[in-house]
Amino acid sequence: MDSRDSSSAVASDAARDASLLSEDAAVLSVTSTLAKSALSCFQSGKFEDCIDILIQLDQKQHNDPKVLHNMAIAEYFKGGCSKSKKLLEELNCVKKQSEELASAAREQVEAVNPGTNVSVSKDQFDSTVTTLNIAVTWFHMHQYTKSSSILEPLFQNIGRLDETIALQISFLLLDIALACHDAVKFLAVFDYMDKAFGVGFGSHEENGSTMQLSSNQGSKTSSLLSSSVVADTVAESSLCEETLDYDNVLAEIAAEKRMKSVGHIPANNLLKTLSERSFSTADLKLELQLYKVRFLLLTRNLKLAKREVKHAMNIAQKRDSSMALLLKSQLEYAHGNHQKAMKLLVVSGIHKESGTSGIFNNNLGCIYYQLGKYEASSQLFSKALRSCSSLRNEKPVKTFSLSQNKSLLITYNMGLLYLARGEPLLAAQCFQKASVVFCRQPLIWLRLAECCMMALQNGLLDRSEIRVNVVGKGKYRKLMIEENGHLELDGSTQCGKLSLPLARACLSNGIYLLNESLLNESKSDRESTLSVGMNETKEASSADHGEANTNSDLKEAKGGLNQDIMQSSLSAFKDIQSREKLLIKQALLANMAYVELELENPIKALAAANSLLQLPDCSKIYVFLGHLYAAEALCLLNRPVEAGAHLSAYLVGPDDFKLPYEQEDFDQWRMNTSSDCEETLDSSTGNARDSVFLKPEEARGALFADLAALLATQGHHDQAKAMITHALTLLPNNVQATVTAVYIDMMLGRSQDALTRLKQCTRVSFVPGRLEVRAS
Amino acid sequence: MNRSTTVLMKIEESATVLSLLKSDLLPMEVVLSQFNSKLQSSSHLAVCNSLSMMLQDQKMLCGTERIIAFGIIYHCYSSQKPSFNPFLSEMISAACNEQLEKSERAFLLHLLQWNNYNNVKEILKQSAVDYIRSFDPSTHDFPELGELQREYGDKADTGPSSHIFADYSLKKLLHDPDVPRGCDPNSPEFDVQPGGNPRIGSGDRDEALSGLLENSTMGGLAPRWIRPCPPRYPVHQSELLWIDPDNKHELVWDDKMCADTSRGATVRDLLVKGLKMTLSPSEQEDITTELTNDPKLVYNCGITARKLPQLVEHNPQIAVEILTKLNNNKEILDDFLAALVNMDMSLHSMEVVNRLTTAVELPKEFIRSYITNCISSCENAKQDKYMQNRLVRLVCVFLQSLIRNNIINVKDLFIEVQAFCIEFSRVREAAGLFRLLKTLE
Repeated sequence: MDSRDSSSAVASDAARDASLLSEDAAVLSVTSTLAKSALSCFQSGKFEDCIDILIQLDQKQHNDPKVLHNMAIAEYFKGGCSKSKKLLEELNCVKKQSEELASAAREQVEAVNPGTNVSVSKDQFDSTVTTLNIAVTWFHMHQYTKSSSILEPLFQNIGRLDETIALQISFLLLDIALACHDAVKFLAVFDYMDKAFGVGFGSHEENGSTMQLSSNQGSKTSSLLSSSVVADTVAESSLCEETLDYDNVLAEIAAEKRMKSVGHIPANNLLKTLSERSFSTADLKLELQLYKVRFLLLTRNLKLAKREVKHAMNIAQKRDSSMALLLKSQLEYAHGNHQKAMKLLVVSGIHKESGTSGIFNNNLGCIYYQLGKYEASSQLFSKALRSCSSLRNEKPVKTFSLSQNKSLLITYNMGLLYLARGEPLLAAQCFQKASVVFCRQPLIWLRLAECCMMALQNGLLDRSEIRVNVVGKGKYRKLMIEENGHLELDGSTQCGKLSLPLARACLSNGIYLLNESLLNESKSDRESTLSVGMNETKEASSADHGEANTNSDLKEAKGGLNQDIMQSSLSAFKDIQSREKLLIKQALLANMAYVELELENPIKALAAANSLLQLPDCSKIYVFLGHLYAAEALCLLNRPVEAGAHLSAYLVGPDDFKLPYEQEDFDQWRMNTSSDCEETLDSSTGNARDSVFLKPEEARGALFADLAALLATQGHHDQAKAMITHALTLLPNNVQATVTAVYIDMMLGRSQDALTRLKQCTRVSFVPGRLEVRAS
Repeated sequence: MNRSTTVLMKIEESATVLSLLKSDLLPMEVVLSQFNSKLQSSSHLAVCNSLSMMLQDQKMLCGTERIIAFGIIYHCYSSQKPSFNPFLSEMISAACNEQLEKSERAFLLHLLQWNNYNNVKEILKQSAVDYIRSFDPSTHDFPELGELQREYGDKADTGPSSHIFADYSLKKLLHDPDVPRGCDPNSPEFDVQPGGNPRIGSGDRDEALSGLLENSTMGGLAPRWIRPCPPRYPVHQSELLWIDPDNKHELVWDDKMCADTSRGATVRDLLVKGLKMTLSPSEQEDITTELTNDPKLVYNCGITARKLPQLVEHNPQIAVEILTKLNNNKEILDDFLAALVNMDMSLHSMEVVNRLTTAVELPKEFIRSYITNCISSCENAKQDKYMQNRLVRLVCVFLQSLIRNNIINVKDLFIEVQAFCIEFSRVREAAGLFRLLKTLE
């Protein structure tokens, strides 16, 4: 056995010299037979047997990286796809090994035959497949940035790769780009695919010389056209506008089951066929069209998405139209046509498969959320999460079921729901779980901070009341105002781990990430030239063929136009994104100033408030908050004059304030962040109750009260009295204003007034002293 | 703001303090040392705070109690300079308050060690009752409030909380007597009579005192700032995640494992051989078929841009084949074309370029620089007249072929080519090329 081993080792060395002796050829045929049976075991799910064969192979081909690679894959499946970390370690090891072997072999050949330029067999040490699998594993672990950076070098040289692998890499990159909302990267990859496999858009159809794929494409599209229009109208007509609630939807689903399903093929079976090395061009064409729609939806180009999704429906006719219908549903959802979206979601039939029923429930939950029906929405999200976890426990495990495990995304939605329902603890738990995926996004940090702040407000109901201790009886009865409003919380039980310092940490994370991404935005010009450079090279080869296509009315959206359209939605999307980033920045800074004030850190609060006030195009609401926070911070820093300056920005005349903002400012701010599709959403539905804030008159009242407080500390008690009277007419029963008023009364020596005021205010609770507790 | 921690006294502590306040017959020294032994220094601040609040209400404590209360406040900070005492300002204003008993004010001046009031130690040896009884108001003069504030005010420490709201905070009890309408709450009839039934409106002073001691907190009453909480950031439709099913990104089995690589290997072997010698027609045939069968083979057949010149010299046909196959990948093709431009001019290289121009569309830049390179090679080959003539003839034939096949636009290169023809007019083919140019003009 030993001698056999050593000879086989020699054999593989010899093989690398590409000069095969007859004896080695025999060994090779034995191993290749073994390799074949290993593959068939793998494909039929017999991982134990597969591993046994691989062990044999490893003994013959000692340390062959490819054997080790397949072994790692088989072991992973055998272990139920649970040890992703281990798989990654092994794959990285294999990758390193093959790279070392490749460079060693190159050196060896050069050394043995100097100048003869013997080529080395590249296949043997090629680590492309290993690299792809590493990226796939990271992808399933939701580590999109890592996955993408690993694929990047492969994508640079994608022209040299085997077509199947190239497709797999490209599709993975598209899914990563979608998951990261990275429209720029998406377009770079999509452009490549359009050029290389671009069967869907007509421009290459007459051009057999470059495209082996597009054999009989032209005839197919035209035949599809006529029949597909019918299908589309059928789908449309089933969507009569009736009110739907959850029961109706369920009834609909039940009815759907009884109906003959329309030649239903499992969704997205493309890549499965890909790995079997026989993919139909029509599948590919549909797939690319669907991705195009997803891009347009991502970039919120709803008009075009509508047109393109129709094309997708055309192509999908007689095939699997579930994905196209799902996208159509998403489109209607984005338009705010929730009834229609619901219908289409049901028609898509994705609830029928265990793999996608979670997705169905999640999307339905989104619709219900938008309708403001939080109870139904919450049930749907929980259902979605349950079906995800049952998917995970399914046997035999497939990696794709891991990627279909969208539980973290659903968890994020759940978090938003809990936040909307005012349950900060549960919401925070959701966000913390989901942060595995979203930790690079500033918004999730803002949401976590909001959870903390909401928890504090919920836990501090005392604070919204004035506590007056009543001590003594009869003639000795005294009132003691418990000024330091809130009692220290027994935090741990009530607020979990939520706290103001956590809010501060979250906000500074958010601000950091946002600044980073704003910085990258300015850098992105450089990046885009890179991808454009790539486009040009591809364009050179296909430039002449653009006008060759004369294929009916499908043409309008294709060919040269195709790219322009996508490019322009990309740049429109970039504008939307940078506007949203600014809005988030305002929110982050305002929250930061607030939290710092709560933490008695006026210096940092002032800094945050000042940065907020310096932002260009800042919403009037945040300007108001910025002034108020800055003024308070300045008071705490013993700089009353500057504090006064912030408040007097809103003064009209000597002693009157204007409204710091109008109701429409508030509405506009809310709409700005909640809708930018062309059709404005009906503000009465959905997220109208998401944000509650001071009405403009109340904000004006706050200005009066705060100026009164400031004046009172400066000893101008009479002026302060006038201000606080104004404030209390605008904000009757406001705790802070009442306290200030009581203070002013007492400073003016009118303790009787103060007493009356306290007794009249409905938010004062008189608390008996502890005397009764005492044993006499 | 003003979130000073709530410090409440323990019930036992307040009882102790209350009993000390009532020890008006003991020498004050003794009272103070009892205070020291019974209360921990950590609760001193809370005690002083409560006492100071009660002292502000002139009717809560009686004369001896007030003396002892001030004594305690003084005692708690006696080890430090008077200006460190956080209750200094209360002491000063009490010392100058005309409404208070002169004995109390004199006592305070002693505590403050104002001018000739310097025998604190002596006074503290007396009991509170004795002090008041023996007090002779005629021997004392009292300073103005301003005087005292000047003396101590500058040195006064603003204390732990220094922002303006805290500074201006007010420690005051609101008097809210619960007596029947129309009655004088100050009349002693409302005090609890020992043994008698309590009547409406009656109250026990001691009960109120200990209640105050227990419930008093550190903070005073200060103006409050309205600090609205920022609104929750609205949920944009796109923040709520709509999910589409992904493609199935399965792990991929590496099917090249132990695969029979002989097919690719044959081509690679033949090409290695082809770098050194001309291959037989059947060998060339093999390569061409393999390359056509496997379009990706061209990328790893072992031919690189560096090796291309050798292949061109020995097997121009194969070189053309490979270059045509590489046409899909512009980056690599550019490398190969650059190698072609830079290699020595030869019949084979021109043949390759000539064939290539008919097979694929080459970059204009490449053709132009190739021609320029041809012309300069001819000019440089001066040493060997025979070789030069040979080269010139080749170039002329090559150029005529390019022009006839409309590969190049003559206008682009007219001057250059014309100069070349004139320089080598002695060569027959150059004259022919010149005539061709003239006809095209």
